[in-house]
Amino acid sequence: MRRIFFIIQKEFRQVFRDKPMLAILFIMPLIQLIILGYAITTDIRNISMLVSDYDNSTQSRELIQKFRNSGYFIISGNELDRGEVRKRLDHSEVSIAVTIPHNFAADIRRKQQPQIQILADGVDSNSSLVAVGYATEILRSFLKERLHENLMSNPALAKRVHSIDPKIRIWYNPNLEATHYMVPGIIVLLLTIVTTMLTALGLVREKEIGTLEQLMVTPIQSQQLIIGKTVPFAILGFFEISFAILVARIYYGIHIEGNLAVLALFAFIFVFTTLGLGIFISTASKTQQQAMFMAWFMIIFAILMSGFLFPIENMPKVLQYMTYINPVRYFITTVRELFLKGSGLAHLWPQGLTMLCFSLVIMTMSAIRFQKRIK
Amino acid sequence: MNIRFIAIIKKEFLHIARDFRSLVIIIVLPLAMIFIYGHAVKLDISEITLGVLDRSNSSESRELVNHFINTGDFVLNAAIHDNDEIPRLFKNRKIKAALVIPSDFSESLVSNRTTGVQMIIDGSNSNTGTVIKNYTNMIVSSYSSYRAIAGMATPFTVEPRIWYNPDLDSANFIIPGLVAVILMMISALLTSITIVREKESGTMEQILVSPVRPLEIIFGKVLPYVLLAFIDGVIIVAAARFGFGVEISGSIIMLALLSIVYLYACLSIGLFISTRVQTQQVAMMLALVITILPSIILSGFMFPIRSMPIALRYLSHIVPAKYFLVIIRGIILKGNGFAQLWPQTLFLLILGTLLLAASVKRFKLRLE
Repeated sequence: MRRIFFIIQKEFRQVFRDKPMLAILFIMPLIQLIILGYAITTDIRNISMLVSDYDNSTQSRELIQKFRNSGYFIISGNELDRGEVRKRLDHSEVSIAVTIPHNFAADIRRKQQPQIQILADGVDSNSSLVAVGYATEILRSFLKERLHENLMSNPALAKRVHSIDPKIRIWYNPNLEATHYMVPGIIVLLLTIVTTMLTALGLVREKEIGTLEQLMVTPIQSQQLIIGKTVPFAILGFFEISFAILVARIYYGIHIEGNLAVLALFAFIFVFTTLGLGIFISTASKTQQQAMFMAWFMIIFAILMSGFLFPIENMPKVLQYMTYINPVRYFITTVRELFLKGSGLAHLWPQGLTMLCFSLVIMTMSAIRFQKRIK
Repeated sequence: MNIRFIAIIKKEFLHIARDFRSLVIIIVLPLAMIFIYGHAVKLDISEITLGVLDRSNSSESRELVNHFINTGDFVLNAAIHDNDEIPRLFKNRKIKAALVIPSDFSESLVSNRTTGVQMIIDGSNSNTGTVIKNYTNMIVSSYSSYRAIAGMATPFTVEPRIWYNPDLDSANFIIPGLVAVILMMISALLTSITIVREKESGTMEQILVSPVRPLEIIFGKVLPYVLLAFIDGVIIVAAARFGFGVEISGSIIMLALLSIVYLYACLSIGLFISTRVQTQQVAMMLALVITILPSIILSGFMFPIRSMPIALRYLSHIVPAKYFLVIIRGIILKGNGFAQLWPQTLFLLILGTLLLAASVKRFKLRLE
């Protein structure tokens, strides 16, 4: 027991003496929380729109005003020259161009179908899909109002037009704020990166500098060494997430709906997986550079396949099955559910159990491998 | 080029070649990332799981539910019998939205009274939540007008036309962007680490007492990584072309030339970091925070910069990947030439030169 304690003490001293590293450990979560929390948004706003208004009537100007007032579009001019429209799309100066034909107002009056053309820069497929959707929706509602005016002359029809009134209620995140969804994910990210990287690099550094051999000739047993080398990083990881939870609360006003103790329990189970992974990486690499590379490689995939950014339901079936062997997937689900829905153990125990299995298997295998390598 | 310079390059190449595992990762990483990004990254929402609590149970209510299902965006996942079931279904992630149809739904419609349906949405994923909200409004209003003006033609036509990427294939957008991210990862990260490693293991002093000049050391150490990063770039572009059918509309030579300019900027960042830190761990963490994260998050790689708060929009102006993304997407998707891309190129050149000058100066200072 005392031997383990000594190693832990040594490890902590090492961390605290490395001032730049310590600074990074605490600045990194701040930067990640603040930048990622705001930047990861799939909302589309401020789309630059070019109009070609050949009609120049009250109706067409009203339509343009509707685009402007929607808040989604910034009207960057009225351009009648086709070549110029093409050029400005080419230069990425505008992302969408709407053409209003010269008989637009007349068509509406005669209850005919006005032809409106929307040209979109499809390079950013997601954004353009949304932009075209917004533009179409604005057009539709504009023309519906006109149609409505026409219908009003027929009272029997008029009554039926708005007969169903959808009442939409949004639970768990009533303002649909992206930060409330992203921040719990970032907390998972932090714990994963910090504990895996530090464990792997910490062990490999001893190898690279040659001090691992010195440790081996001391009476410390390899299990004691593993415990002594991992416990400090687990503690650091917990500090890191507590700090992140605090920042989330103070800066973003995001509270944990669920039980903090349940969150701590899941984090405790999960951290064995990342520590085990760190040990595994250290046994498979000779230099810190190698270890870092391998850790990176694994973490990037674990994150991409965890549903952190990209919904798992949208992936092809094969990739969906692959996500089942990704421990981060389960942890990210539980943390999000705990933060937003306040789900308890009753709903989350399957995830917890799966994570426990992963932790036991990965930790045991890595520890065995570490012992073998040392002998 | 003199012999000393070549000797350093050779030494660095031997380092890389002997480290077989890292080499494999350098080659496999971009391929695997292309695979995942090309297939898994779909932010558009489909197959929204819907639960229905149909208190009316009439032909009208079933018609409304069918309107939801027929859009192809919703999948009926549960018939709900009681309000209390809804929270449980949300917490088990069985459904994302619950449609509640009141018992007087059919009577109200038949007698032309306004009636309400309720849609309860799981808003925990804000993105999905917003989409469901918009879809619901659209579908319900289209159902109302469908009933009101049954048989009437759609009141207008819109022809959306999409240029440059007509099928709105996200691979076309993501994969060129991936080149920018991976080049940054390989070049900035590897260079910063390679020089710090010599410092940490004490071999830097040995090199310094040799007759090699500082500039020779720097360039000698950096060039092999330029080559590696460049090979990675070629692999990605080839995979994009042959694996995902992304056509290159512009000039390949132009792309290669401007990629080298970008690499120059990336490497300068790596060097800049390496002259300022002492351990590989710190170099790696710094490289992560100031190069890789911004290249992914603040470059417009996936997340639209124009939707970000103003402070982040300003910050994005100093992210080199942002400029290279304009270049590579411009060349590959739009067939842009130098006439459109010179401002971006100029920025990368200036940034690279400034950082390189600062690093060399610092390096010389340390020597004296």
